[in-house]
Amino acid sequence: MTKREEQKMRKLDFQYHMRLLFPEPVNRHHFTLRCFPIDSERQKITNLNIQITPSHVGGTETDSFGNRCIYGVVEKPHTEFCVSVDGMAYVYGDAFQPVADAHKIGMFRYNTDLTKIGPTLDKLYKKLSAGTPEKEAITEKALRWMEAVHSCIKYVQGITQVTTTAEEAAVFGMGVCQDYAHILLALLRKEHIPSRYVVGMMTGEGASHAWVEVCDGKKWVGFDPTNNCMVDDQYICISHGRDARDCTINQGYFYGSPRQIQEINVVVEESRDD
Amino acid sequence: MVKEELYSYSDTVNELLARYGVRFGIYKNGTFKEQLFPFDMIPRKIGRDEFDYLERGLKQRVMALNEFIKDIYGDKKIIRDNVVPEEFVYMGSGYLAQCEGVRPPKDVFTHISGIDLVQAKDGEWYVLEDNLRIPSGASYPMIAREICRRSSPETFKKNAISDNRNYAKLLRKTMDHVNVGGHTVILTPGRYNAAYFEHSYLAEQTGAHLVTGNELVVENDNLFFKDYSGSKERVGAVYRRISDEYLDPMNFNPESVIGIPHIYDIYRKGNVALINAPGNGVADDKGIYYFVPDMVRYYLGEEPVLHNAPTYLPFYPKDMEYVLENFDSLVLKDVAEAGGYGVVFGSGMTGEEKDRFIAMLKAEPRRFIAQEVIDFLDIDIYENGEAVPRKADLRAFVLMADEPMVWKSGLTRFSRNPDSFIVNSSQGGGFKDTWVMEE
Repeated sequence: MTKREEQKMRKLDFQYHMRLLFPEPVNRHHFTLRCFPIDSERQKITNLNIQITPSHVGGTETDSFGNRCIYGVVEKPHTEFCVSVDGMAYVYGDAFQPVADAHKIGMFRYNTDLTKIGPTLDKLYKKLSAGTPEKEAITEKALRWMEAVHSCIKYVQGITQVTTTAEEAAVFGMGVCQDYAHILLALLRKEHIPSRYVVGMMTGEGASHAWVEVCDGKKWVGFDPTNNCMVDDQYICISHGRDARDCTINQGYFYGSPRQIQEINVVVEESRDD
Repeated sequence: MVKEELYSYSDTVNELLARYGVRFGIYKNGTFKEQLFPFDMIPRKIGRDEFDYLERGLKQRVMALNEFIKDIYGDKKIIRDNVVPEEFVYMGSGYLAQCEGVRPPKDVFTHISGIDLVQAKDGEWYVLEDNLRIPSGASYPMIAREICRRSSPETFKKNAISDNRNYAKLLRKTMDHVNVGGHTVILTPGRYNAAYFEHSYLAEQTGAHLVTGNELVVENDNLFFKDYSGSKERVGAVYRRISDEYLDPMNFNPESVIGIPHIYDIYRKGNVALINAPGNGVADDKGIYYFVPDMVRYYLGEEPVLHNAPTYLPFYPKDMEYVLENFDSLVLKDVAEAGGYGVVFGSGMTGEEKDRFIAMLKAEPRRFIAQEVIDFLDIDIYENGEAVPRKADLRAFVLMADEPMVWKSGLTRFSRNPDSFIVNSSQGGGFKDTWVMEE
């Protein structure tokens, strides 16, 4: 990449660490991991270093959405499963992934089991669509609806789960980034706007993050309803799909007691490497 | 009289069928019951010319369906060209996003298709349903024919009946065609499955191993069969008799305990053939059925040989209007249901039921299709020593190797209830042999 291109980008160092602790040993632990940022129009990844322990056999693949996966099986009994991914990302603030074939993204126009609309969201949808100004562009609409979603629930951890639907979160009035994203997706798709769920990381320290990308007809534009802002060069994309299920970071299947504790720590910071 | 000659062996044949375990499992109120699949001795006869016509139409239909599935999980031209509205693809339960971009070995998706047809009183045949996931039923006429031949060899000497004992050969050819190297296995969920008899019979007849999920394991991006001694041998083709959602807990339903973790990942890489291809449900949805004749024109550039039953999609306002006006003469089907469930006759509803149904129809027009009630040609069955007419359909089997092959036989199912049109074995129907005549 040229010097000029490099100047337009933000350089971010990232670390993604996940640790699964099993109180009793488990074995024949099959896993599929989807936590590896890949190159796209908006980001270039370098110095990627991936470590998965304990030792395992398996392979890598690209799933149907284009996400990178590593899968495998740990045969021997173990009480800990660790994944660490770190590297550097060059992120363009104003570049978006273009949509080449508009007729191929139809799947993002329909709600899934997790984003299905119920009476509570239907009410919100009616309210929002009643207030639609004439000739509102898709991105303007997404911005306006994002704001409504942001204020319709409160950010509270531990109330919702990975299987909580958009409607359920709206009824609770509480949730985390996954729930904000599902609610916005539910509303946009009710309006037939193609929109997808994105898992990624943003600057700071904490967990992984989730947001929404909307197709404005030509490209995918990112909206973060949890923080009520547009996605910029502080965000690194990991995967996308129709909902959180398509983007499951760690899918596991093992023999032993189902009890487990998951620890996730994500750090993204401005790169000092120059 | 042939009929009576064969009929005199009725007890022998039914005893043998029971002895060989020709059963059908039914779950009723949460408990599993196996019942014999009642066999009627009077064969259904289809003349040679008539079957030639069916054969041409069936091959054409299955080729178009295979193209459709390939297109939907690939280029999606049929959506771009507005032949099939995208909502019927993406809102149907059969569409699986995990299948996007995945090409099966030799581009065969519909290895084994079960196409359900009925014949009307005027002799015209209509396709009622395409079954492209895991259509069952071929084993029943296979074993019934075998037993009938042994019980009354005379009957088969005197009548020029096409030999149908080649199904196992056709199936073997179909499986070998896509095998990517290694053994061929038939994967069963186990003996509590409704069609377990069929799984074991087809394995025996084709020489494939009959296996359950825990005997297969993915290693180094290949699939292996573990035998009793622990040694592993590579598997190149799996005729899986478990549904997509239970096939692989890592890619589909994570709760599945009968699947094989990561089998779908290596299928994606072309390292094993899955028969039939996952995701085929996108093409046998009752809503998609409406568009099959259009698919034949679109992909093959030919006029469809076989007709659909006249069908209306309430999704289209014009069709909705027709359906509401002619409600009492139509049969309505819930597109998400199968096996004869979710089928109601407009004429069979009370006023109140009708109001409720119409409200549902208006709220979710895409969920239903409506069809003209076809006046089926009745077929005789023996009941208490006399021949009585009953409704019957025909499931024709089309197998796809380098080209589609139609089995010269089929499963004729009949309703034992004189007033019923529903012939599904899960609803207590019986079956007959289907004779395709040589002349």
